[in-house]
Amino acid sequence: MRTIKVTVNGESHQAEVPDHRTLLDFLRQDLELMGTKSGCETGDCGACTVLLNGKAVNSCLVLAAEADGKEVLTVEGLAYPNRELHPLQEAFVEHGAIQCGYCTSGMLLSAKALLDEIPRPTEEEVKEALAGNLCRCTGYYSIIKAVQAAAEKMNR
Amino acid sequence: MVRKLRKFNYSRPGTVAEVVSLLKDYQEKASLLAGGTDLLVFMKLGGKNPKHVIDMKGITVLDHLSWTPADGLRIGCLTTLQSILRHPLIREHFPMLEQAAKALGHPQIRSRATVAGNICTASPSGDCAPSLLALDARVTVASPAGERTIPVREIFAGPFKTILAPTDVVTEIQVPALPPHSAGSYRWQPKITAVDETLVGVAAVVTLSDGGKTIKDVRIGLGSVAPTPMRAPRAEEFLRGKQITDSLFDEAAGIAAGESQPRTRAEYRREITRVLVEQALKEAVDRASRNGGNR
Repeated sequence: MRTIKVTVNGESHQAEVPDHRTLLDFLRQDLELMGTKSGCETGDCGACTVLLNGKAVNSCLVLAAEADGKEVLTVEGLAYPNRELHPLQEAFVEHGAIQCGYCTSGMLLSAKALLDEIPRPTEEEVKEALAGNLCRCTGYYSIIKAVQAAAEKMNR
Repeated sequence: MVRKLRKFNYSRPGTVAEVVSLLKDYQEKASLLAGGTDLLVFMKLGGKNPKHVIDMKGITVLDHLSWTPADGLRIGCLTTLQSILRHPLIREHFPMLEQAAKALGHPQIRSRATVAGNICTASPSGDCAPSLLALDARVTVASPAGERTIPVREIFAGPFKTILAPTDVVTEIQVPALPPHSAGSYRWQPKITAVDETLVGVAAVVTLSDGGKTIKDVRIGLGSVAPTPMRAPRAEEFLRGKQITDSLFDEAAGIAAGESQPRTRAEYRREITRVLVEQALKEAVDRASRNGGNR
């Protein structure tokens, strides 16, 4: 067991965790933030994507201990504090970029990491940024369109 | 299938000396953690079950990347694939390494995975290996007996096996500066699966002479076509000193494909090797001809 201090969605958390706890399980089990999904558990599907110090990572392949002292953003922290949806979330709703929703939180966070780095991405750059997020409802094109629409809105 | 981690002890030492000392105590009961994108997967799938996981990321000085004409490129063992992408020094001196970084995984993996980890995992399809072989790169290894340097071409012992001892720690990768009128290229073909693992990866580094008309020197690295990443010595020998003609690269590519030793999908992999060797040679020559080379 060890004590870790992690800032999640702007809130500081101190917790006792076993050494083998992943960041994903820490978020879901210890903090009860269920928005981050567990998919393949081996870094292939992207359902567990969160931002760690601003970078998109597979939280299933990060130990909670490795997140000690770092900042994590999950889908729960994406909407603004006044509960208004983030432009990405709005665009996903408007463009029908959600079907079953299992990949959505990961998609949103990969897209957020992209727009933080490249505010006006090309379609190719959106595709590359989402390459690590699998959608089995075959909604890729609506998702790409949503990300581009959000980028446009945010740059307005 | 339950893909969860079994219990282990985690430590995060602050110096290489501490890592070496821990490895001396734990021996093969320990695994080194850099990016974790291979190690944690192996642990979840049952391929590895270390009692101790030693996280290298406490040694922040090992996350570095520098270039000087004398030392060439130095890549710390914590440098991620993400930091290779779009890096001005990489773009200026070794654009082939940006191609290799792009071939590997996807953004979430590249945020964590390290170049050194990609070498130490020793997957036959690792995307960094062909380029580092073709660039004659070396790794610095710390151990209880002290520090030593090993050429990358000597490090691979078999699929997912290296010659490194349980007490060895790779701390840095060094890529020597290229001579004038030189450049490299990495071309790859992925399998079309969830992870888009590389089916064949080919790196070529050329040095031109005679105003760009002759191949003065060449090195070719092949990935995913043999139990380990390999060079293509017969194709290299064939090309060395030859004048560039329309058919030269096609012939050389045929020789390199013949040297490959694919274990599965052999006929297809050989054919793709032939195609990619020709592409990589052409791109390397093209880059070497532009701007006086060194690209």
